[in-house]
Amino acid sequence: MNFNTAAELAIVFWTIGSLLSLLANRTPALKLPAFLLSIAGSLVMAGFIAFYWSALDRPPLRTLGETRLWYAALIPLVGFLVEYRWKIGWLKYYCMALATFFLSINMLHPEVFDKTLMPALQSPWFIPHVVVYLVGYVLLAASSVTALHNVYLQVRKKRTSTGESVSHFLALLGFVFLSFGLIFGALWAKEAWGHYWTWDPKETWAFLSWLAYLGYLHAFRYKISQSKLQWYLALAFVVLLVCWFGVNYLPSAQNSVHTYTQS
Amino acid sequence: MVVVRRRWFQAPWEFRESAFFTAIAVIAGFLIQFAASGSGIAIPHLPFNAIALSLFGVVVLSSGLAFKNTPAVKWFGGIPLGLCLIFAIAVLSLIGGIIPQQPVAQGSLPTLLGLNQIFSSWPFAVTVLLFLANLGISLSWKLIPFKLQNLQFILFHAGFWIALSCAIVGSSDLQRLVVPINIGKANNLGYTMESDTPQHLPLSIFLHDFSLEEYPPQLLLYDPHNDKLLMNKAQAILEVRKGTTATWQGIEVLVLDYLPYALPGKDGVPQPADRKTGIPFAKVRIITASAQREAWISTGSPLLKPDAAQLDGLYLIMMPGTPKSFRSAVTVQDEKGHEIMANLEVNHPVSFMGWKLYQMGYDEKAGRWSKLSLIEVIHDPWLPAVYLGFFMIMAGNILFFWNGIKRREVVK
Ligand code: HEM
Repeated sequence: MNFNTAAELAIVFWTIGSLLSLLANRTPALKLPAFLLSIAGSLVMAGFIAFYWSALDRPPLRTLGETRLWYAALIPLVGFLVEYRWKIGWLKYYCMALATFFLSINMLHPEVFDKTLMPALQSPWFIPHVVVYLVGYVLLAASSVTALHNVYLQVRKKRTSTGESVSHFLALLGFVFLSFGLIFGALWAKEAWGHYWTWDPKETWAFLSWLAYLGYLHAFRYKISQSKLQWYLALAFVVLLVCWFGVNYLPSAQNSVHTYTQS
Repeated sequence: MVVVRRRWFQAPWEFRESAFFTAIAVIAGFLIQFAASGSGIAIPHLPFNAIALSLFGVVVLSSGLAFKNTPAVKWFGGIPLGLCLIFAIAVLSLIGGIIPQQPVAQGSLPTLLGLNQIFSSWPFAVTVLLFLANLGISLSWKLIPFKLQNLQFILFHAGFWIALSCAIVGSSDLQRLVVPINIGKANNLGYTMESDTPQHLPLSIFLHDFSLEEYPPQLLLYDPHNDKLLMNKAQAILEVRKGTTATWQGIEVLVLDYLPYALPGKDGVPQPADRKTGIPFAKVRIITASAQREAWISTGSPLLKPDAAQLDGLYLIMMPGTPKSFRSAVTVQDEKGHEIMANLEVNHPVSFMGWKLYQMGYDEKAGRWSKLSLIEVIHDPWLPAVYLGFFMIMAGNILFFWNGIKRREVVK
């Protein structure tokens, strides 16, 4: 299976699914096919990941491009879950658009197909650590998008408390995953590098993003006004993005053990 | 809601006072750092650090409980100050996440302010100390009287308190030493990252053997005029195996035969050899628009020149694969006669009498033929305490996950 074919197929499924879903507002019969098509998009990506995994003989979690594959497969699922749980439909469109965006980056910058996995990455911790982080990122990305939407609604004086609950819960869940990711990383580092925490730039930025959401949870507990909190959530994701992509470009990263292979 | 503007320092104190207090603390930290001309803090060793930490814990918890209703203590254990301190730690970590954390010229401004060693600097220490006090006081209120519904809070906050305090206070007792050993030799001297003077270890390591396994070698096309490697059509890293094919603009290559361990024979045809001495050889067929030929290429070794195939000013070369795994067979002994034999490998450390031994590195120039192994030995008596904290946080996390989903709280 070829990456471009899989990606194009997924994007086509998401696009048609989204269009049908918009039409379903008038014609409810279209709801099911719309949902099935949108899910099919993610299934195609999941299938591709499985294929790629076996072709590489290692989990495709090593390079940034590979993490984008997971992101593209997972983030639409968050949109569907939110629709199912909170009856908020619009998030899935953003999610599918975001997934399309990540796949397009990969199509524009094809990766060098490299099967090797350095010894430090050959660990039972590798998969849980990265997968937990990816799920966390996906939830927090969705939280940030929802928060941005809430800000927009607040400005238009149309705020909904359901919308605000969604961004809050996504942030809360995301925080849980970030905490696990951070600790799994520390436990793994002890096995692989000898110490659980060395303030390596990637660790420092992961800690910073965790602090950002820790701050959010306490501010929420302290009943800071929603208009401020939604702004906060919308922007907190920027810290995560630096942690994910940006660290490679910072002066502090010259001797990081964590920088993803450039892609 | 009527908003009445509070005056500065009018009770109850909130964010303004907290931010002010935090800023003063951070500035004071930088001033101390500057006054100490850039030298960070020296944390005492066991048992003094453990005594000091326990005392600190007791003082924080008991004063939290004793002055529960004092407005100043209420503020000191409250969320506004907690948030400001979290923000301060974030800003200091941000400095550490941007400025490379490595020694620079003595006496330069970054050194004097501790910016290049922020995590052992005074401002960081002062902030963390206040953070622990703040966190400890808020903990004391939820700890006593104990209620089951506070369990999640206790696990998170006590777990973090324990992990953070023990990691920092215990850092003075952390010993990390690198022991270089040659095959057939024993060594009981270790080096720290910071200094060239070796330290005597209470254990000695004998290296029986070092072995390294590589991924298959890679096929590359090198352009010597531009000093560039040319990317093939499939954009793939080409692992050399029998049957591997590759295409570049106008050039096609097929691997006809591949010998992972071989040596050049008398007639120029490589002969299979044993693992210790042999190097990878590949017989390739090269097809260009004008010609077709066959050639043997090899990766070379410290003793043998690599063989490349030349074609129209380009070179088809074979690069050794990257390391897949490497291990050291060792015997470790301490002064009391305890002894173990072990295979050390990356991600598979071995414990011995309170020490943990890690396969760290080898002579990278010699690669597979390295006669040297670098073993890192680590002694960290505080590790169980830090891990206790980690596991408490994870337990709190599980509760949080469960309750957070179940409670269905609505944002007001
Ligand atoms: C800086 C000192 C801190 C203070 C003063 C503080 C205080 C508090 C308070 C008063 C609550 C509300 C508890 C309740 O209503 O039952 C809370 C909640 C919480 N804290 Fe902290 N905390 C601090 C640091 C931390 C740290 C370091 C962590 C992470 C390990 C943490 C994790 C949490 C979590 C997960 C919640 C639950 C939030 C929620 O239910 O929405 N806190 N904290």
